[in-house]
Amino acid sequence: MARVKLTDTRKETRTLAGRPVPVVVTPRFARRGRLAVFADALASLLAGMRLTFGYLVRPSTVVTRQYPENRATLKLPARFRARLRLTLDEHGYQRCTACRLCERACPNASIRILTRPGALSKHELDRYIWRMDSCVFCNACVQSCPFGALEMTAEFEHAVFDRRLLIFTLNRYAGPPASVLLKEPDEAKRAAAMEPRDPYGGPVPLNGTDLPYLKALAVAPRPDPVRHAAAPAPGGQA
Amino acid sequence: MTGALAAFAAFGAAETATAWPVKTVAARAAEALPDNVWLAVLYMALALAGLGALVSGLGMGLIYLERKIAAHFQCRLGPMRVGPHGIFQTVADTFKLLFKEDIVPARADKALHVLAPFLAMTSTVLMLGVIPYSPVLQISDVNIGVLYITAVSGLGVMGILLGGWSSYNKWSLIGAMRGAAQIISYEVSATLALLVVVMFAGTLSLSGIVTSQAEGWWIWRAPVVGGIAFLIYLTASTAEINRTPFDIPEGESELTAGFHTEYSGLRFAFFFLAEFINMFVVAALTVTLFLGGWMPFHVGGANAFNAVMDLVPPGAWFLGKTALVVFVIMWFRWTFPRLRVDQLMRLEWKILLPIGFANLALGALAVLYSLYFFPGA
Amino acid sequence: MTVNVKTLNDIIAPPGAAASALATEEYFVNMGPQHPIAHGSLRLVVRLDGETVREVIPVPGFVHRGIEKMAEHLSWRQLIHLTDRTDYLSALMNNWAVARTIEQAAGLATNDRIETVRTIVAELQRLQSHALWWGVLGMDLGAFTPFLYGFREREVISEIFEDTIGARLTMNYIQPGGLMYDIHPDFAQKTKRVLAYLKPKIDEYGTLLSGNVILQERLRNIGVLPAARAIALGCTGPVLRASGVPCDLRKVEPYGVYASAEFDVPVGSKGDCWDRYCVRIEEMRQSIRIVEQLIDHIPEGPHTTVKFGARIKVPEGIHYGQIETARGILGVTIVAGGKADAPYRLHFRSPNFNNLWAVTELARGWRIADIIAIQSTLDLVVPDIDR
Repeated sequence: MARVKLTDTRKETRTLAGRPVPVVVTPRFARRGRLAVFADALASLLAGMRLTFGYLVRPSTVVTRQYPENRATLKLPARFRARLRLTLDEHGYQRCTACRLCERACPNASIRILTRPGALSKHELDRYIWRMDSCVFCNACVQSCPFGALEMTAEFEHAVFDRRLLIFTLNRYAGPPASVLLKEPDEAKRAAAMEPRDPYGGPVPLNGTDLPYLKALAVAPRPDPVRHAAAPAPGGQA
Repeated sequence: MTGALAAFAAFGAAETATAWPVKTVAARAAEALPDNVWLAVLYMALALAGLGALVSGLGMGLIYLERKIAAHFQCRLGPMRVGPHGIFQTVADTFKLLFKEDIVPARADKALHVLAPFLAMTSTVLMLGVIPYSPVLQISDVNIGVLYITAVSGLGVMGILLGGWSSYNKWSLIGAMRGAAQIISYEVSATLALLVVVMFAGTLSLSGIVTSQAEGWWIWRAPVVGGIAFLIYLTASTAEINRTPFDIPEGESELTAGFHTEYSGLRFAFFFLAEFINMFVVAALTVTLFLGGWMPFHVGGANAFNAVMDLVPPGAWFLGKTALVVFVIMWFRWTFPRLRVDQLMRLEWKILLPIGFANLALGALAVLYSLYFFPGA
Repeated sequence: MTVNVKTLNDIIAPPGAAASALATEEYFVNMGPQHPIAHGSLRLVVRLDGETVREVIPVPGFVHRGIEKMAEHLSWRQLIHLTDRTDYLSALMNNWAVARTIEQAAGLATNDRIETVRTIVAELQRLQSHALWWGVLGMDLGAFTPFLYGFREREVISEIFEDTIGARLTMNYIQPGGLMYDIHPDFAQKTKRVLAYLKPKIDEYGTLLSGNVILQERLRNIGVLPAARAIALGCTGPVLRASGVPCDLRKVEPYGVYASAEFDVPVGSKGDCWDRYCVRIEEMRQSIRIVEQLIDHIPEGPHTTVKFGARIKVPEGIHYGQIETARGILGVTIVAGGKADAPYRLHFRSPNFNNLWAVTELARGWRIADIIAIQSTLDLVVPDIDR
């Protein structure tokens, strides 16, 4: 019999503001003799030691994951929000129409969309600039997009040595969206309408510009991992 | 009752199959001195080198063990990267500490600040010199060994006190004051527990105490009294070396790091190392006094069993027992929360001390009436 | 009219004369902002007499980011994400508090599915928050092992959130009129598995810490907060309930689907650290009970009733809504008007801010180490105090 029995809770009903509230009163300490208290104290210490020893001798209880070593088997949830991407359709064309809804939905102006007059449409996407350094990964851009052109992916390894490398141009090419491109039957004209863009570059401050006190980026553009068009869209608004 | 006692006695009645001739390094040096000065010098040099190797080896080994054991208590893996299973982690950390900037706070008492870690370290190393690791592995067998240990371990508190005082930091000062109060208080109980064994063994020499346990270890050979003294000593010495649940001088959630808040680099490493070596010393003393030192485990009458036990060298016995006690001290740390400073004092002065005195008195009666197992065997 | 303002300087000014014959001096130490107990960066100026605490003066503000001001520049949808960053251990409940206030003000209807899922994730987060609190309390009191155990339990719940929400800390999941995503197909199954795992772990907490004599001695009768003082200080949540006041919004002003769930409100009898500790441990059990009742009965329906692009019209005026977070009552005051799609003014009545000031009364006369115990059992999240 312990001095305080942890399971010794008492159920009763109290009233607060005229409303009955079922409560459970937590255990308190009983008055007990010195020797009993002393014996109980020793027993409690031994019980704790037994518990920790149980974990020590059972290596199966170890929960540590050896991160860089387990990269191959690392499984991240499909909805994990770590990196914004522009989705591509089955032809490899972007869906983004440069409508700027995401730019407006972004709570801290991490998205900047530059447009230009296009050959196939009145205006088309020039650069989709995403500042990961200020992004809060709230997912508002993905939710706001009526075309399903954006997705958050689980690529979480963002560490770089130069902050300029956290500012991405997300689109792979400047040009009209898939909906416009597919109306043009001529493959050559479609290709001509698409001007390639690399992830680092463009007129955003710190993004590849030649400021006098900044050295030019000595980093090759990060290769884009192949996106699976068939990957299930993680729920969302679409 | 007598039957039970007799059975218990039979369990412990060991026959000293081998006599253990104790020969310390100092004795060998003294022996060699008249004939060959250089041989004597060589012995002393060996002893010094051995001490140095012991300190660094123990420090690194214990820190690694502590981290690994702590990790597995906590469902972690601990160091895994430097070397296989991280065995070189402490080596890497040592190098890091060596190369760190040594900071002395601007308004600190520089001389004392520099001196304090060395004081803490010195008291620890001085204790290593008299511990009998095996019959032939002991640097010097002081005939007042227990007294020497008690005196020298008290010196360690000077390091803590000076370190905290000289840092010019209130947290350090609080930590140092707590440390001084705690160590001095708990030394009383530790000494009372030591005295029980000294009474039974009839000697203050550590080697003498070990050889007096040839027939049985004092923890059970001194009926009940030995066990209680063992528990008191384990508790009090855990408190003396400032380990959880008695780590209030450096309780990191209260005093940031207590007396060594302002230390960095090598000087911090010295405090840290001293702490770990202290743990070893305390474990080694517990083993020497209560668990038979380097004596093998013998069961009375079971000669075949005893012969097998004798195959294990005494040094290994000592190491094994010490490792066990060290493990228990680590086990405490990774299970218990910390006591409050006044509770700590209450535990000492109101619980441990009365029990210790009563225990000592009972022990004295037991010795007086030869009430311990197989006296004079 | 003159107002006597007691500044920090007045308080710090040395006291008249030392009372003791030993002519001891009182002294000040700064606990924080860089101190292990600061839990982020809270500064406590402590006036000490030896080891005895004479006065504790909290100086919050080191993590002030102007969240309430920032919210004035964001639309109703956008400002939800800021609430993740106040009391980050009950991010979902903060989301819910704001979303619910906006829903009430704008007259947005939700459905049963939304409310049930909200209730479940909120209770899971309460569990998670309390598991972490338990671990941190252990660490504050010198036992490092509980910290890792607490995090271990937090992790399994985080994995549920990862699947459904896609985030571990900054959820931004509960939005005006619905949820960001529908629940993951495995949600119910995984949650049940986690609950089965958690139940024996809470008993383990009892073995490792609650039953431990050292912990009991560290918490028993320390920092007694009488019910009247708790109410006067505006304390809410487990802190208030530990003083014996059964004030739990989930019962007295039910929101979500709490009214249909059966659970008890844990209350203490004395209001000391031990009661605050036990109340939280018991709350974990009750949270498991709530989730167990609801998890098999999530109604079908859409996960949101308001299209993302739709403009939310909050009528001009002052709107107030409140919710019981893991730490107490989070009240949200919205002053709408002036701008079309954003609050004119937003104010949080955060539970931590009020609970913090209890430390000034509770710690007086105790030891330095008791400040730690008291602050741990108040379970403060500093970014929520400063906002």
